[in-house]
Amino acid sequence: MTATTPVDRTGRLVFSAWSAVSPYGIGGDAFAAGVVAGRDATTELDQETYPGPYPRAGLVPEFTAAGALGRKGTRTMDRVTAIAVSAVGQLIDDCGPELLAEPDRVGLVLGTGSGSVQSIMDFTKDSLTGAKPYHVDPALFPNTVMNRAAGQSAIWHGIKGPNTTIAGGALTGLLALSYAMRLYRGGHCDRALLGAAEEYSVQRAWLEWHGRTGDGVAPSLGEGGAVFLLEPKSDAETAGRTALAAVLATRFRAFGETVDARKAVGDCVRAALAQAGVSAADVRLVAPAGGEFETAEDAGVADALDGGTPEFVRCGQLFGDTSAAGASFQLAAVLAKGGGGIALVTGVDRDGTVGCAVLELAG
Amino acid sequence: MHEERQSPRRVVITGLGVVTSIGIGVTEFLAGLRAGRSGVKPITSFDTTGFAHSNGAEIDEFDPADWLERAEPEELGRASQFSAAAARMAVADAGMSLDEVRARRALVSVGTTDAESRDLDNLIGVQVEQGPERLDPVVARRSTAGRLSSSIVRELGLTDVEAVTIPTACAAGNYAIGYGFDAIRDGDVDVSLCGGADAVCRKTFTGFYRLGTIAPEVCQPFERDRKGILTGEGAGILVMESLDSALARGARIYAEVLGYGLNCDANHPVAPDRDSLARCIELAHRNAGVKPEDVDFISAHGTGTKANDVTESGAIRQVFDTPPPTISIKGMLGHTMGAASALASAACALAIKEGFIPPTINHVETDPECGVDCVPNVAREAQLEVVQNNALAFAGNNAVLILGRYRDAV
Repeated sequence: MTATTPVDRTGRLVFSAWSAVSPYGIGGDAFAAGVVAGRDATTELDQETYPGPYPRAGLVPEFTAAGALGRKGTRTMDRVTAIAVSAVGQLIDDCGPELLAEPDRVGLVLGTGSGSVQSIMDFTKDSLTGAKPYHVDPALFPNTVMNRAAGQSAIWHGIKGPNTTIAGGALTGLLALSYAMRLYRGGHCDRALLGAAEEYSVQRAWLEWHGRTGDGVAPSLGEGGAVFLLEPKSDAETAGRTALAAVLATRFRAFGETVDARKAVGDCVRAALAQAGVSAADVRLVAPAGGEFETAEDAGVADALDGGTPEFVRCGQLFGDTSAAGASFQLAAVLAKGGGGIALVTGVDRDGTVGCAVLELAG
Repeated sequence: MHEERQSPRRVVITGLGVVTSIGIGVTEFLAGLRAGRSGVKPITSFDTTGFAHSNGAEIDEFDPADWLERAEPEELGRASQFSAAAARMAVADAGMSLDEVRARRALVSVGTTDAESRDLDNLIGVQVEQGPERLDPVVARRSTAGRLSSSIVRELGLTDVEAVTIPTACAAGNYAIGYGFDAIRDGDVDVSLCGGADAVCRKTFTGFYRLGTIAPEVCQPFERDRKGILTGEGAGILVMESLDSALARGARIYAEVLGYGLNCDANHPVAPDRDSLARCIELAHRNAGVKPEDVDFISAHGTGTKANDVTESGAIRQVFDTPPPTISIKGMLGHTMGAASALASAACALAIKEGFIPPTINHVETDPECGVDCVPNVAREAQLEVVQNNALAFAGNNAVLILGRYRDAV
């Protein structure tokens, strides 16, 4: 941080490591194996533990905060925080101590839906139903603040650079990527850990159920988190890490009416490809968000790819709609698939926003 | 993708939109800051029965229908109503037509602590009484954090836009403004609409009450006998653009954004850390290219709790041999959470433009442990060149923003 020569911050940024805590289990390998095999990771929900409107969900198998992280410091840790802390921890373990050798130069950017709605609403419920309205557990209050997962991940692992929480529905993982890239280019960190986490909870299930807009069968929900290391290619090489993919571009757009969603996706993808300097025909792999806007999203992508025939990987169908973590899992899925060439990750959110990222996968 | 860029570009603030308990719109807000107006009164938005005291800084006279032209008010939670209204005001204040703002590539970033937790409070209330099957779909749908930024997009009819909500708690406004600054500076976008929004809610009031940090009557930053925070609400949205863009369209320039710094204590979930905050201030100075002696006043996080004010002034004294006047507008506005540093940024921009330092109100005797000149009770006329805006959040998330008077040659 006291370098005398200014760092050129305009060069390529790459993903050089990633981790996942997913319905396939703990770790990137388990996720990759599941996605590549196309295995359904949703299971019947135990209705005593998870009463509610959904019969199935993609849960991280046998995951508890204490089980994943030990008893110390996890008594009041909620599920989404534990998923985030675990996913970040996986990445740090994989990379070794060099990753955090300069902890104040490492940024952490973590996406969320609205924190843990279970923690937030349980806290208010205690206020509403207790003998006194202030009969709440003060140790649980930080869980109700939406930067808890990012903040606790920093505290747990000693990450002292910028610590930012990002929310944007289905686009969250793409927005976190865009934020992390600007954080680096702006000189605020020398490398960034970025991703998103989401928990399955009874309360989230009810909110998603009531909030859904499609009139078809509600897709199952999923949970988990994925975290990526973003850094300049040369830094990855110096540290002995392999660049898994270069991030060529992110781009976002919006639409006012649902009928315009297809056009917004098409315009967004075209703009991103132009920004990335690659042609539509080069796109080999597409990971769309799917969900309620799947038809418009697929049509918009097809418009932009202009007759191209890429392979599609559809995560949501494999382990449920992971909401704010969805786009991060899409990114992880294209890294899991690998195989070189250009990959496109897209998303459409019901609030009328679209986004995409263009990656160049290592061969 | 970077060839066409002429970075870094200088970034200026050309529009302000504010929804506050001391006034809606720039004119009223400015008058309130100058007069040291207080927005504090008993909380009415939720049933406060059983709390020994329950003052707050709510906004009474806000009718979203007065401000929103495209978005349907009932499809927006209260915080999103605030943010969308503030964005519309900010664009108008910048003298930018809707067609002009739509023609530009834009970034929208809105910081928040609680997003639509007011809705979540109300939903759990219904759930307790009637069961989870009875939740209102419209309220469930609008209760997500992403809505605070996407509602601005919807209200203004933007299409070439990246919209993000930044829920980095009580420092979120500065995070969001810093992000907009970087996006303009690097030439990624041509206009940024950035700030913060929050609505008073039972959940957060109760949490702070239980921690013993809610003041019984008034918020008194840096006061010897200060008793804590009062929860408040509102939104502040800034229009930022490149200096070239502002000059080309003859825009009024409130201030230049010189830079910002972010760091994380990575230490304690709720307690601030003096040394880490001092490092964040130094980081902001270095990024902005200023020295401590250049700073003409500090808009402190200044919550009025024992811990914050003594830790924060300690960090300031660590960096500054002689601290400049250090004020907190939270005496006037309460703690507006994710909106707080956005509203403080708006106040700093106005202070630079109008030549005054806003006062710290409700002040009787400065805590010698804080030892700062907090501009007690009465605004002070001053020619300002460089102003610093501090923000701290739970989890040790610090964000310090530096604004400067716009001069045509730097």
